[in-house]
Amino acid sequence: MTGLAARVKAVLERSVLPSVVARGGSLRVVSVDDGVVTLEASGSPGAAHPLASRMEALIRLAVPEITSVRVIGPGGEPPSAGTGDLADRVRRVLDAEINPAIAAHRGRVILAGVHQGWVRVRLAGGCQGCSLAEVTLRQGIEPLLRARVPDMVGLIDVTDHEAGTAPFFAPAKR
Amino acid sequence: MPGARVLLLIPAQTYRASDFLAAACRMGLTVVVGSDGALPLGGRPVLHADPGDLERSSAELISRAGRLDGVVAVDTPMLALAATVAARTGLSHNPVEAVMAATDKAAQRRRWAAAAVCQPAFQIVPASAGDEAIARAAAGARFPCVVKAVSLSGSQGVLRADDEAGAIAAATRIRSVLSRAGRPAHEPLIIEEYIPGPEVSVDGLLARGSLAVTAVFDKPDTPVGPTFEETLLVTPSGLPEQVLATALTTAERAARALGLQHGPIHAELRIDTRQGRQAPAMLELAARSIGGLCARALRFPGGVSLEELVLANALGHRTRPPQLARPSGVLMLHAERAGTLHAVDGKAEAAAIPGITGLTITVPVGQRVYPLPEGDRYLGFIFAEADTPQDTAAALRAARSQLHLTIR
Repeated sequence: MTGLAARVKAVLERSVLPSVVARGGSLRVVSVDDGVVTLEASGSPGAAHPLASRMEALIRLAVPEITSVRVIGPGGEPPSAGTGDLADRVRRVLDAEINPAIAAHRGRVILAGVHQGWVRVRLAGGCQGCSLAEVTLRQGIEPLLRARVPDMVGLIDVTDHEAGTAPFFAPAKR
Repeated sequence: MPGARVLLLIPAQTYRASDFLAAACRMGLTVVVGSDGALPLGGRPVLHADPGDLERSSAELISRAGRLDGVVAVDTPMLALAATVAARTGLSHNPVEAVMAATDKAAQRRRWAAAAVCQPAFQIVPASAGDEAIARAAAGARFPCVVKAVSLSGSQGVLRADDEAGAIAAATRIRSVLSRAGRPAHEPLIIEEYIPGPEVSVDGLLARGSLAVTAVFDKPDTPVGPTFEETLLVTPSGLPEQVLATALTTAERAARALGLQHGPIHAELRIDTRQGRQAPAMLELAARSIGGLCARALRFPGGVSLEELVLANALGHRTRPPQLARPSGVLMLHAERAGTLHAVDGKAEAAAIPGITGLTITVPVGQRVYPLPEGDRYLGFIFAEADTPQDTAAALRAARSQLHLTIR
């Protein structure tokens, strides 16, 4: 491993990796070429996605020679299952198990897309803008989906929470 | 610390659930969530928590949560329950009665008086007090005075009064706020002297009663009443060294007088400028970290958040909080009138102001909003970092001037 790659690895281990590992994923430095770092996300790399901008900022701050950061899936390849098949299985879990449960809070989860194993969901109704949306997503929806669809690479929330007009719980001063 | 198991008690209407969850993830902690609002959906424990029934709820949480290394209340409504769970499981935390005292402004005032902590002159009037008693108490506290609810936060239910008639009107209005907030009808009110001067807030972490300060925010636009909107906070503080030291000592003594030993505190003080002095006086103290989304203004070296420091403290780590990476600040957006929020324009322009690091609107368009003293929520938050606190404040004011909130 080059000196640059070792420095990037040190930054990852210090500031980013624990959160990725906590969500069942992992990150590895694949290469550093012309200032571009390529990281391989494996396991459940959806956890790394919300941290992408912060991760890049941290790496660029600690290693000024780095100009950008690129994250690829496991082995740099799409998952073995076809995108259509994965989308169907995710949609079935959403329809059969998740949406009936969160309907109690007037919420629903919509599959926004699947790309190379990454599942993008949009929260709507009572979940959009809800102060507990992150709890529902990370403690509820994600582990349930992972249990039912183990080849899902990661779960990404693409909801515009600020645009939610009827959150089930709105934050307030207490 | 990675792998440690922490119980996060998350009230339904908090601003802070996602920041604490993200912090726990960054630290590699195993999280058990207890909440009065979360949906139990998946394989990770989400337990029902009822802060209104400490005995039963704490017993249930303990029986279902499994081994715990720490317990943290994410926001005020869960403080007493977290302390109860911790007391029963032998985890580091504040005594339950100290936490209860810290959520009652009347109890705070009494304990600080007993411990000779510098604070405004005050009177506590029972809920049944009539106009005459209110007027007498206000005169006793001296005019101008401030009439306060004992159980609300964020300047909700707080009004300045300049004479007896004003005090009576303020008390009537605050009782109406309390009623609308669902508070018990027997709650007393505080009437205290108004202290002119700038306000500061002190955030810190207690460990065995010793305070490690995480941030001191100046409030450059300290309100003078009749309502007390917290708007602009910038850190580090520009207070003279001696005044700052006295403010920190006062906050630590105030926490100790309440019996607080462990965990975060957020203290608010006025610097009394009467008679040419600069004397810090305690206004309020909460046994939690700074409210709303304000903690997002605090980024410590390595990107560490205040929530990570709070969690580490709960797990028994005695690390000294590092200096902030840069001067930073936050501006809270308030409703300036009652009505329905119709539009928020100028967000892109505000975010483009140099130094602005974030802008979050926390009230959905279409929702009813109220100004203080009725208002119970912020409309949003703007965050900034710059080379100096003055530049930070200037960036926040410039960003605010770009935002147009339409309330009809």
